[in-house]
Amino acid sequence: MFSSIDFNKFWQLFVYDPNDHLYFGSSFFLFLIFGLLIIYRLAAKKKNIKIYSLIFFSLFFYYKNSGYLFLLLFFSTFINFYFGRFIYDAKKPGLKRFLFILVIAINLGLLVYFKYTNFFLQILNELHAGNFQPLDILLPVGISFYTFKAMSYVIDIYIGTIEKPTKSLRDFSLYMFFFANILAGPIDRAAAFLPQVQEGPKVSKEDIGRAIFLIMCGLFKKNVIADYIGLNFVDRVFQVPLRFTGVENLLASYAYALQIYCDFSGYTDMALGIALLFGYKLMDNFNIPFIATSVADYWRRWHISLSTWLLDYLFKPLQMKFRSWRVWGSAAAIFLTFLGVGFWHGANWTFIVFGLLQSTYLAVSILTLKFRKAIYDKLHLTGTKFLKVFQIIITFHLLLIGAVIFRADSLKTAMNVFHQIFTYFHGVVFFQWVTGYTPVFVMILIGYVMHFIPKSFDNRIQRTITAMPVYVQALLLALMIIVVVQVESAQLQPVIYFNF
Amino acid sequence: MISERLKKIILNELNLDEFDIKDETTANQVPGWDSFNHINVILAIEKDYNIHFKGLEILKVKNIGELQRLIDSKLQN
Repeated sequence: MFSSIDFNKFWQLFVYDPNDHLYFGSSFFLFLIFGLLIIYRLAAKKKNIKIYSLIFFSLFFYYKNSGYLFLLLFFSTFINFYFGRFIYDAKKPGLKRFLFILVIAINLGLLVYFKYTNFFLQILNELHAGNFQPLDILLPVGISFYTFKAMSYVIDIYIGTIEKPTKSLRDFSLYMFFFANILAGPIDRAAAFLPQVQEGPKVSKEDIGRAIFLIMCGLFKKNVIADYIGLNFVDRVFQVPLRFTGVENLLASYAYALQIYCDFSGYTDMALGIALLFGYKLMDNFNIPFIATSVADYWRRWHISLSTWLLDYLFKPLQMKFRSWRVWGSAAAIFLTFLGVGFWHGANWTFIVFGLLQSTYLAVSILTLKFRKAIYDKLHLTGTKFLKVFQIIITFHLLLIGAVIFRADSLKTAMNVFHQIFTYFHGVVFFQWVTGYTPVFVMILIGYVMHFIPKSFDNRIQRTITAMPVYVQALLLALMIIVVVQVESAQLQPVIYFNF
Repeated sequence: MISERLKKIILNELNLDEFDIKDETTANQVPGWDSFNHINVILAIEKDYNIHFKGLEILKVKNIGELQRLIDSKLQN
């Protein structure tokens, strides 16, 4: 009966293959999640089994995406767990400080080694300081995310936000390994996650409704909109911007801003939804970022788990340090913080320039705050709708400059995009583009409209889904999966943020 | 208990006429007390009481009640 099944092939599904990852939304992933949910259901009252089944699945999930580099995740988990306890137990402030600096140095050391070694060697080569061959270093997927998670735990113990380190390596391992957010966040805080593990996962009817809603939204945003406009339009233009007119370059930039939002927030929706199904609430990462009225406002709405991490652990201490310089001190602190944002994204000049650009925007915005307010008051614009819309449009376009630099594979490519927009615009091509790229145009429209839908409307849909019987919910989800499979033009695309 | 003096410094720095500040009130509940104004409030307190905070002391403070206790402990030393 089983003679037709190739067991070798079946076994291969469970072995790491660099060309075949296990992503959210893939059929094998959905199949495994379904199995895991059944185990969860059967072990409804057995907290231990639930936690261990999640830990083992998470490890398998991470192994499938990173191979033997999952050993590094083990190392990071042990080091931070034990250092958390050592820091807490140390009586002398000097020793506490020493241990704290040591564990931060280990965390940052690993991050820098894996992410930046070859970049630094390349810079040394360019400066003619030597002739270094690039080292054979594979970037462990998700390292920036889990290292930041781990660091928040030891920092919180050091500054006292977490009153007592956890005694359970099991609970801490689940915090570090949890498959829902290991590859691309949200960068959850131990202070919020560990109590949930200790109390035991809880899943209410509302949680299930919200989870179904989030997973459906996520699948649509990531696998339909982002992947479609990325593959069919953005990638083509950004590959050779000089082959396209300015208007196409501008449209590709608008499309990319939407693509990265749908890609990352779609992935995050799925992560939040899946975590909810297993009884864990993760931190939200997005809050309608394109309605931001300033760059600072944008960073309170975009990748919130990263921006609040940097705000709490980098900006605030720096701001305290520089406080005697008053407003210049805050400007310097924000400048350094967002330089950190650039570096965090990876080793490429484009990310460094992207960080510098955000730094400059924010520092200038702090320094000119009073001046701008005076102008708005004088023109009687303060508090008007006109000013708000004006600010939203300006902010969006300031960020678009950043998005182009972020997307381009080199600064030269980014300059080519700007060059085309400013010197070879050819606005009439727009109409040709709409007829030539109608599906892309429609996708972009749907994407932006969806983004601007107020949260209250989302909540209403969530309540409707919550009120539905389970089989209707399952049917809805199945329908969405069918839509995704139909629209999917090629192989499932990895989430852009997996690279960071 | 939050002293009138501390309350006055905070309200003054944030240009507020009146706001009910309790022990458990946190910075983000007070209108205008955002991450940029935060440092101005701290500086105003340091100036008014003629005290000096360490970075870590301020990072540890979770609410205004704790801030009051930190100030009191500084004044006693």
